[in-house]
Amino acid sequence: MGGFFKKNGSIISTFFLIAITFWLIFLILIPQLYMLDLSFRPNLPPLLRGGPDDVYTLTHYKHFVFGSETSKDAYNYVDIGVFVDTIGTAILVTIINLCFCYPIAFYIAKLATPNATRLLILALIIPFWINELLRSFAIRILFAGEGVINNLLLEMGLLDAAVNFIALDVALYTGLTYAYILLMIFPLYNALETLDTNQLEAAKDLGSSTLRTHWRIVIPHAKAGIASGSTMVFMLTAGALATPVVLSSPNTFWFTQLIYQWFNMNDNWSRGSAYSIILLVVSVAFVLLMMRIFRVTIGEVVR
Amino acid sequence: MTSNRTFQVFLGLYISIFFLYLFGPLIIMSVTAFNSTEFPSITPWECFSFRWFNEGKIAYDGQRLAGLAADRDLHVGLITSLFIALGVVTLSVPIGMSAAIVLTQVHSKLRTLFYSMSIMPVLFPGVVIGISTVVLWDRIATIGGEGIISELGRNGIFLTILGQTCFISTYCFLIFVARLQRFDTTQEEAALDLGASQTQVFMKIMIPYLMPAIGSSAVIAFLASFENYNTTVFSILSEQTLTTVIATKVRLGISPAISALAFVIICMTLIAAVLYEFFRRRQEKRKALESAAKMYKEISSDRLKEDIKKAFILPKSIFVILFIFLMAILGWQQIIKNNLYGGDCIAKAEDAKKSNFADQLKLLQNNAESLESEGGDGGTGSTNEYNDIFGDPNLFKNFGGFDN
Amino acid sequence: MSADVELQGVSIAFGDFYAAKNVNVKIEAGEFFSFLGPSGCGKTTLLRAVSGFLEPSEGKVLIGGQNMSGIGPNKRPTSLIFQNLALFPLMSVADNIAFSLEVRGVSKQARRKRADELLDLVALNGQGDKKVHELSGGQKQRVAIARALAVEPEVLLLDEPLSALDLKLRQKMRTELRAIQQRVGITFIYITHDQGEALTMSDRVGVMNDGQLEQVGSCYEVYQAPSTPFVATFVGENNAFSGKVEKVSKGIAKVNVEGTSFSGSIGKTTVGDPHPVGVGDDVFIFVRPESLSLAKGTKAPKNKFSADIETIEFEGNLKNIYLKSSKNKSTRFSVPSVFDTSDLIPGSTIELSFSAESAIVLPSGPLALD
Repeated sequence: MGGFFKKNGSIISTFFLIAITFWLIFLILIPQLYMLDLSFRPNLPPLLRGGPDDVYTLTHYKHFVFGSETSKDAYNYVDIGVFVDTIGTAILVTIINLCFCYPIAFYIAKLATPNATRLLILALIIPFWINELLRSFAIRILFAGEGVINNLLLEMGLLDAAVNFIALDVALYTGLTYAYILLMIFPLYNALETLDTNQLEAAKDLGSSTLRTHWRIVIPHAKAGIASGSTMVFMLTAGALATPVVLSSPNTFWFTQLIYQWFNMNDNWSRGSAYSIILLVVSVAFVLLMMRIFRVTIGEVVR
Repeated sequence: MTSNRTFQVFLGLYISIFFLYLFGPLIIMSVTAFNSTEFPSITPWECFSFRWFNEGKIAYDGQRLAGLAADRDLHVGLITSLFIALGVVTLSVPIGMSAAIVLTQVHSKLRTLFYSMSIMPVLFPGVVIGISTVVLWDRIATIGGEGIISELGRNGIFLTILGQTCFISTYCFLIFVARLQRFDTTQEEAALDLGASQTQVFMKIMIPYLMPAIGSSAVIAFLASFENYNTTVFSILSEQTLTTVIATKVRLGISPAISALAFVIICMTLIAAVLYEFFRRRQEKRKALESAAKMYKEISSDRLKEDIKKAFILPKSIFVILFIFLMAILGWQQIIKNNLYGGDCIAKAEDAKKSNFADQLKLLQNNAESLESEGGDGGTGSTNEYNDIFGDPNLFKNFGGFDN
Repeated sequence: MSADVELQGVSIAFGDFYAAKNVNVKIEAGEFFSFLGPSGCGKTTLLRAVSGFLEPSEGKVLIGGQNMSGIGPNKRPTSLIFQNLALFPLMSVADNIAFSLEVRGVSKQARRKRADELLDLVALNGQGDKKVHELSGGQKQRVAIARALAVEPEVLLLDEPLSALDLKLRQKMRTELRAIQQRVGITFIYITHDQGEALTMSDRVGVMNDGQLEQVGSCYEVYQAPSTPFVATFVGENNAFSGKVEKVSKGIAKVNVEGTSFSGSIGKTTVGDPHPVGVGDDVFIFVRPESLSLAKGTKAPKNKFSADIETIEFEGNLKNIYLKSSKNKSTRFSVPSVFDTSDLIPGSTIELSFSAESAIVLPSGPLALD
């Protein structure tokens, strides 16, 4: 500590310490810990908090698993169903994104000319800076009952009646894939860019087929990028709120929407907190899983 | 050889599809902003119109569909968003910078812990950050009684700034870390050796070196804050930002005014991108000229001198711009010729719709009834919030002048 | 103004590792002193202790008779020229030079004036408004010197500043550095692994190995009268023969090397006395390549040995002949280039001899690695 003050001088050191403490302690640590605490407490009106009823309880987590006490079902099929749907879809979206982006990332990193690379990257960034809500809205315009796709198919005579893409969740899945596709491309691109092109030529020279070259050389080289991209896409998809708000059908719920409901519609903050904790735990578990599978450090996952 | 050719064609096709997927929805959305119909669409093209950028229109069922210029909510939300974004930038850039600099000074064990903590917020879902900020500050406000703390703890703008700063600081942190990795620490030592105090080293060596990172992290922080929804929707409480206004609008009704807004944002992004590319190229050219001038001075060979004095060549992009310009003029002429622009066209469309209105109303009621019987068995019961009329495509089937 | 620098029992430890061990030396005011040693010998660490970036774990650094412990680098009367120069890339040349004045609150005009003076001193007149990256390697070097001199330091510390330059420029800068030192008259402490640099510029040289100062002396002394085997082999070329002492008399030792007797003069310790060499001691006998001569079969009965020619190498002013013998893995024998070597064919055997005066006998110890 003394060395720290000596190195930066007292004014700058104090500034650094204040900024970092404020961030790490007051913005990151305490809010999450308080939310964790709240998730184990009953939902009480503000006046009763801290009173005799304010005891630790598992009621919100029990509700997630077993449902409300008045319910006849053994388990809370609705909430668990939403949860499983959300996670499953997020994994599916991640895999689709990975397959869809890999060839593009490889092309930009290794096959395109430098000028083309720059233009393509710029072209990739542009949609990314347009609000997620608006991008989802664009998908909605395409898939709505009176939307562009339906009208087009009807006019071409391929359909007799409009298809409700929203109710079928086609719009939602497309929108989710669309929303975070760039967070898959960039880590992949960054990883592939560092691959020495000579290695590819050497592999080719040694008689390796294109597929084998990718499987044995390119993909192992890009594993940090794959881990990073997959993690980011999964986390953002599982935690997405904007896209489901715009694109989910009335019958489909996203887990974040469930949280939103407990929190804002039903004013049950502690249950909202508990559900948030469940989402947080799954997210962190996924990161750890990816780190384990791909044997990468957290620094390589988040860049 | 043939397999190579096939591969090329396949690759080209794939890339085209990819970029079509990326840009197609945005382009179609932009085009729908200019269609005068109430529902954003292309194929029943009514009239070319700027109404969704201006006052909007009042539909015959009494619903007011405000255009961009007439939408007060949007304006208020925009100002709130700008204010929040400025707040986030002023907090998160210094935080990210401090954390990144300190990271270079702590030792290995502490370093891993510190780094992991610093990047944690990116791994938290946005909604979680929003909720945790709200619940904590509500508690603080309750304990704090009646005073400034209570005021702050229930102020949506304040909470949103804090919530967003939590994870946007990490973005800034990562930008600074990347820049600092290339920092030559002997510069600091040299400055110290020349008699600078630690504060002077920071102000005269570190800050100028970090200036590009400060600039880019400020831009990133601003944009990330400006377009954030997941955290904001919780922490904003009773206020409204641009994104929450958009979300409400999208949920309540799918209006071309939103297309118009998107078009404006897309244009701004495009202009920014083009300007960025332009300045970057100019800088590159200047650098190339500089090194050429150096060569020119050092090597006095006539052959090399000739190379530098190249004739002025029109940039290729000028042809692209000319082409777009030409197409725009031709398209505009077509629109005018076919009477697809202006009051006449719109009036005609309105008349056509009005004459059909009675029939349509009946149809609409039938549809609504059938919907109710359908919707009875759907969902968890509490889904009514999302079960708005726009979820059902049939409702708008007969608006928008399909008999044009 | 110029000050002397004294290191008293300076040791610098990083954990268990000692980068410098008990270094004692006094560098006189106005002297050009070089620390010479292979990379990793601790010379840069020592320099950082003088400039104030490191505090010695033991011992003291005195500058102008004043103990410097606890005084930061920005408060010491020293200036350091870094190996990579550490010029500030975002500032103009003049701003770089006047940085030390800027942080002391000197007015803009006065700064500019001083910068111009210094630019004159290093022969860069009128280049003050250029950016650092517009300069060539040698020009950058001069800017670094000018920047370090702007505060009028009492001691200038140089950490291998010439290592990045090419050979010709390096030779030119050596002369210039020496000239500048004589003009400003302050103490220069120079760090290098290049003995050529150290020997051409310095008044005195301190040879370092493995954290220890092996010998301090004038360039002539360390070359002609090395006091340890390391110095003998690190400074200049030397042929080392290892053997046992047979007889000692009048400063001359007779050494048995694999059955052959060689005579050589006994070397001196760092203090200046002859090494206490006794019969039966393990010693090295060192002979410089230029001190060897062809025995041509006839006379010269003493200090004669035969060896096989391996290769002949042309090095401008010299020809180096590499030989192999049973006494020594590889012997180097140098003759002036004008010498006719047409009869020396690789593979043939020749006889060489040397005089006892030109050979030095030192107690066994580590040699410098080739």
